[in-house]
Amino acid sequence: MKKLFFMVFLIFSISAFAADTIKIGAIFDFTGGTADVGKPYAEGVKDCVRWFNEKGGINGKKIELFDVDYSYKVPNALAAYKDFKMKGVVAIHGWGTADTEALTKFVAQDKIPYLSASYSEHLADGKKTPYNFFVGASYSDQTEAALQFIKDNKGKTVAFIYNDTGFGRSPFFPDGENAAKKLGIQLVDKQVVDLKALDATAQMLNLKKSGAEYAIVQETYMATSTILKDAKKNGLTTKFIGLNWTFDRPLIKLAGDAANGFYGVSPFAFWSDTDVEGIKFLRELNKKYHPDVHEREINYIQGFSSMYVLLSAIKNVKGPITGESIKHSLESMRDFSTMGLTPPVTFTPDIHKGVRAARIYQIQNGQIKPVSKVITLQ
Amino acid sequence: MNYVNCGNFKTSYAKDAAIYKTVFSKISIYSFLILMLLVPFYANSYILYILNMIFISSIAAVGLNILTGFTGLISLGHGAFIGVGAFATGYLALNYGMNFYFVIPLAALITAIIGIIFGLPSLRLKDLYLSIATLAAQFILEFIFIRAESFTGGVNGMPVAYPTIFGIEINNDFRFYFFAYSFAIVMITIGKNILRTKIGRAFISVRDNYIAAEAMGVDIFKYKLLSFGISSFYAGVAGSLWAYYVQFITPEHFTITVSIQYLSMIIIGGLGSVLGSIFGTIFMVILPEMLRHLVDLLSGVAPFLKQIFPAIREAFYGIVIILFLLFEPEGLARRWNLIKAYWKLWPFSY
Amino acid sequence: MEFLTQIIIAGIVIGSIYSLVALGFTLIYKSTGIVNFAQGELLLVGAYVCLHLTVSYQIPFIFSFLITLIFMFFFGFLIERVFLRRMIGEPIISIIMLTIGLSSLLKSIVQIIWGTDTRTFPKIFSHEPVKIGFLNISMVYIFALISIAIFLGIFSYFFKTTKTGVAMRAVASDQQAALSMGIDVRRIFALSWAIAAIVSTVGGVLLGNINGINTSLSQFGLKVFPVVILGGLDSIIGAIVGGIIIGVLENIVGGYIDPLVGGGAKEVFPFVAMIIILLIKPYGLFGTVKVEKV
Repeated sequence: MKKLFFMVFLIFSISAFAADTIKIGAIFDFTGGTADVGKPYAEGVKDCVRWFNEKGGINGKKIELFDVDYSYKVPNALAAYKDFKMKGVVAIHGWGTADTEALTKFVAQDKIPYLSASYSEHLADGKKTPYNFFVGASYSDQTEAALQFIKDNKGKTVAFIYNDTGFGRSPFFPDGENAAKKLGIQLVDKQVVDLKALDATAQMLNLKKSGAEYAIVQETYMATSTILKDAKKNGLTTKFIGLNWTFDRPLIKLAGDAANGFYGVSPFAFWSDTDVEGIKFLRELNKKYHPDVHEREINYIQGFSSMYVLLSAIKNVKGPITGESIKHSLESMRDFSTMGLTPPVTFTPDIHKGVRAARIYQIQNGQIKPVSKVITLQ
Repeated sequence: MNYVNCGNFKTSYAKDAAIYKTVFSKISIYSFLILMLLVPFYANSYILYILNMIFISSIAAVGLNILTGFTGLISLGHGAFIGVGAFATGYLALNYGMNFYFVIPLAALITAIIGIIFGLPSLRLKDLYLSIATLAAQFILEFIFIRAESFTGGVNGMPVAYPTIFGIEINNDFRFYFFAYSFAIVMITIGKNILRTKIGRAFISVRDNYIAAEAMGVDIFKYKLLSFGISSFYAGVAGSLWAYYVQFITPEHFTITVSIQYLSMIIIGGLGSVLGSIFGTIFMVILPEMLRHLVDLLSGVAPFLKQIFPAIREAFYGIVIILFLLFEPEGLARRWNLIKAYWKLWPFSY
Repeated sequence: MEFLTQIIIAGIVIGSIYSLVALGFTLIYKSTGIVNFAQGELLLVGAYVCLHLTVSYQIPFIFSFLITLIFMFFFGFLIERVFLRRMIGEPIISIIMLTIGLSSLLKSIVQIIWGTDTRTFPKIFSHEPVKIGFLNISMVYIFALISIAIFLGIFSYFFKTTKTGVAMRAVASDQQAALSMGIDVRRIFALSWAIAAIVSTVGGVLLGNINGINTSLSQFGLKVFPVVILGGLDSIIGAIVGGIIIGVLENIVGGYIDPLVGGGAKEVFPFVAMIIILLIKPYGLFGTVKVEKV
């Protein structure tokens, strides 16, 4: 046992010798339950760091990224966090619900800004969770955008489909319910479909009975595909609108024809939106960095834009770079442009969700097409 | 397998069952325990984190070993029982504002009761069927964690405040070290002692041959339930400490993976050995961390390793378990005894 | 009434896939007494191999499927030979843990080779559902039902009439007696693993055609526990009936109880049912009751 400790010490002492760099921690999921979307996300984050470093770093300092695969397991995230803290990171880029929730209190205590892709509304309050940020529209806001879209299309009834996890329920209870009431859309049904469900016939038949015109879906690709296929099989006329994790090319691959007509809410631009400046740039960047990669998932764009915002905030820090100064720099961002990858990003000391706008897309003949303007929420 | 020094004769059963076989072992254990108290003054927060995890997990591992190693009842629901302890802690601390010295025993008791309830099928079930019934307990409890929102906070989880003792808030790794360390010592000592009593012997008799045990007047069902109770009590204490340590609990912490991890701890450490449970815990907590640092080092030389290493790490888990089962089925505890025996006779071992 | 019929039919078809996987599980338990927690991973490996052959080498599906079956036969053989054979006579917990270790090993190997993205089979079964009266059933499920029927036929023929099948039954009922009658018990063990690997591969390929493959597919291995317990661990007919019962129950709960409790009961119900059944019939519906002797 002593030997083990000695080795641990040794490894630390090696890693402690590093030049003057900006240290950032990253917690990713390459192998856990969310690996299919976690991996492209991580690649986006890494590419962004690489690009910044090749441009000469931030004010002459290189960025040192410590990345850890935590397999979506909380103890791994905790261990990684303690390790980061010891290495003296000034900010952390996290991943999903599991790590973000587990670390919220610690990062507030240790004053380390924590960006992640968990767009849960309760992480957006700067007073309650002072060091959590996310670059994206919260699930609740995405739901509101979807409801707005339903209203614009003269829809009167809606159903919610979700899974029984924090991730699944976050958009709807209570925010989604309230938003529906406010907009005068009647909530007629709620269905739970497990994230790994292979069959949703019972749920779809219940949904059919309820007669909902629209259904908002908060799932991941697999369950969404099950829902769409079983809806088609049972002849539902309901129109489905998915939030950001349901909607991209992998879904088209999974669901095939059943994906046609599916709507998606996305605060991010898609790889196919070639008129967006940021996408053009990313396409060039990928030609250089990964000549064999021709298409990127939305998660890559998410990761890249999120890291882009963090690094730009660090760049704007005046004086010494600490967790606190980065927080202030982030909170003073107003309408920051992410080259169009997302709508302009604004953080305030109270509001830590960067984006309050989203666009509705639709899958038409296997292609992702925007079908609405950018819907901005108040 | 007992290796005893020459001339160390046991003249009574009490001596045979003593924890400290010799004065020397007594002194060395005590001095080790005291030395451990000095560690936090020299270690950084990462090392302290690892040690704290070892303390917390070893409590739960000892509990599982009482059930699985000593009584022979395989539980695939230990992770969920730890969860019961954690949520009970959160609920009691949040709603009644109780201090930890009430919360931890109460939470552990609640867990023990739940454990006994899910132990009831052991009245009729044996072996495999029983272990699968505990698997069901795992899934049912997970469902309850999610749905019993008024108790557990549901999917959003619940925050837990730092424990305070004499007005001192235990709010960092340094302070928590002493907190967890004392709990670990108390719980492990109690565990070791329970097993030396009538109860412990009854457990072992149920494991080794329950028909013979029954014939000799051991009330099998009572002891099986008791074993479930004690084991869950330990899980409850561990869950409680975990809740106090991580400050935030959600149902996602207490999945089947956790249950399996504890099983591997006691397998690797040695079934039916308290010391083995501790060894197993140390091994399973440190292994992934060591692997991670190894990759960080190696990735400088071979960056592609970093791409596939996460998967290799999981494979490593599997390989370690398999290798232990194939080549060291009695676990690290046996190895430890062999090493001790070797050094006792050194340099004249033959 | 139409609603009830529809969900029952949907339950039967999803249950048929449970049955397939449970069948492999039962086969191993029946002849070797080993509980296989790596059943889901066998399924995963099979599905990935078939996918790889079909996609990367452009082999027509039917041939790649057959090649996969042959491959998995030897793969199951190999696993038994390398890992399980040494475990004969070890306590039950060691065997459980060994298969758990095996499951994480197999899963990582799949991850190393094929990565973590969700992959899909090229369109093999038509996505258009088949209409029978007012019922809509996907082609994949029809194939699942057909393969269940085929396996049932093959197995009952195999176990009743062939020499090897009878030998397998002999080993299952009494190892020592079988040994003394000159049956090569080791060969039987290996054979049962090989057959189980094949059966779960069929399940894996069908599942892969429903919704694509990624490593989370292996969780299916845990889902069959209620099925095999319900049917009785060592009963082949039990695995088939149990799968269908669980599938139907799950859907009825999903259709009628989920709306009342706000969902989620569908997933946990099989386990609740399992505990209740175990309390009433500790050896399942068709399992052999163990007679204890001093």
